[in-house]
Amino acid sequence: MTNQEKIALLEETLEIDEGTLTEDTLLEDVDEYDSMAKLSLIVMMDDEFAVKLTGDMIKGFQTVGDILAVMEKA
Amino acid sequence: MNTLIDLTGKHILVIGASSGIGKQTAITLSSAGAKLTLVARTEANLIATLHELEGKGHAYCAADISELSGIEETVKQIIHKNGSLDGMVYAAGISMSMPLQMFKPEKLQSLFDVNFFAFVESVRQITKKGRYNPGMRIVGISSIASLKGDKTHLGYSASKAAMDAAVRCIAKEVAGKDICINTVAPGMTATGMLSRFTDNIGSNSESMKELKSRQYLGVIQPEAVAKTIAFLLSPAAEYITGITLPVDGGMTTC
Repeated sequence: MTNQEKIALLEETLEIDEGTLTEDTLLEDVDEYDSMAKLSLIVMMDDEFAVKLTGDMIKGFQTVGDILAVMEKA
Repeated sequence: MNTLIDLTGKHILVIGASSGIGKQTAITLSSAGAKLTLVARTEANLIATLHELEGKGHAYCAADISELSGIEETVKQIIHKNGSLDGMVYAAGISMSMPLQMFKPEKLQSLFDVNFFAFVESVRQITKKGRYNPGMRIVGISSIASLKGDKTHLGYSASKAAMDAAVRCIAKEVAGKDICINTVAPGMTATGMLSRFTDNIGSNSESMKELKSRQYLGVIQPEAVAKTIAFLLSPAAEYITGITLPVDGGMTTC
């Protein structure tokens, strides 16, 4: 999966308009990145990449690139 | 346990007896004199529960209840080895919290397999002729989530509401067989399921604070739910059937 495909998957998961996110996007600037979105992220990462996100991992995410990096490990 | 709830010699099947409310229910029922057969997936956990029971004559059967086609054989084996049933507690259940958009059909299916379909199939199997004694009582563990709505709970809430609705219908069908069936609907109870749920949504999240404010008698201890189940299994509850009994620390009054 390319980075662009991962970003598209992330946009779909977070219900954000296509083309909104880049690797450098700060998550604190994304209004849609709330507690519900984080739950969706947990489910998506488990379903698509078999990655179990912990609360500490989510707290550590600063940018979209940080999330993509975890998707890389899968 | 006082003499109002005396289950001496009653053969009661507890499905989902390896943890949480199911495990505590097994312990409480054994203290009331019941002879138990425990069912859960993991043999080691069943043996651990068995060691905590009072009295003698208890048995266990390791089985994956989500495999619906295997329930009939499991029930047959239990009755062949340990005799017909005076009661059943269905405590198997899984929780799944996620937003609507993540609830794909296969997730709902796996949730309903354990929380609802296996419950109905278990009831169907044990209410066949020769598998129960007159006066058998069945209790399913529902949840206050069946009566209340909240974000991310659609699957769990719906599966428990389905259980409650089924019980209202089954009660009428089995009354002629001298069988009563009910559910209990616990609120937040101090079990591993609550811990996982809290980890998921955050112990200081707004949802958690709201839940705690609504359950104003506090988090329920599993033993309190188990005692309610013991009551429903006892002759003291002989005229109670087809209901969902909240054990919810006041949540339904909010």
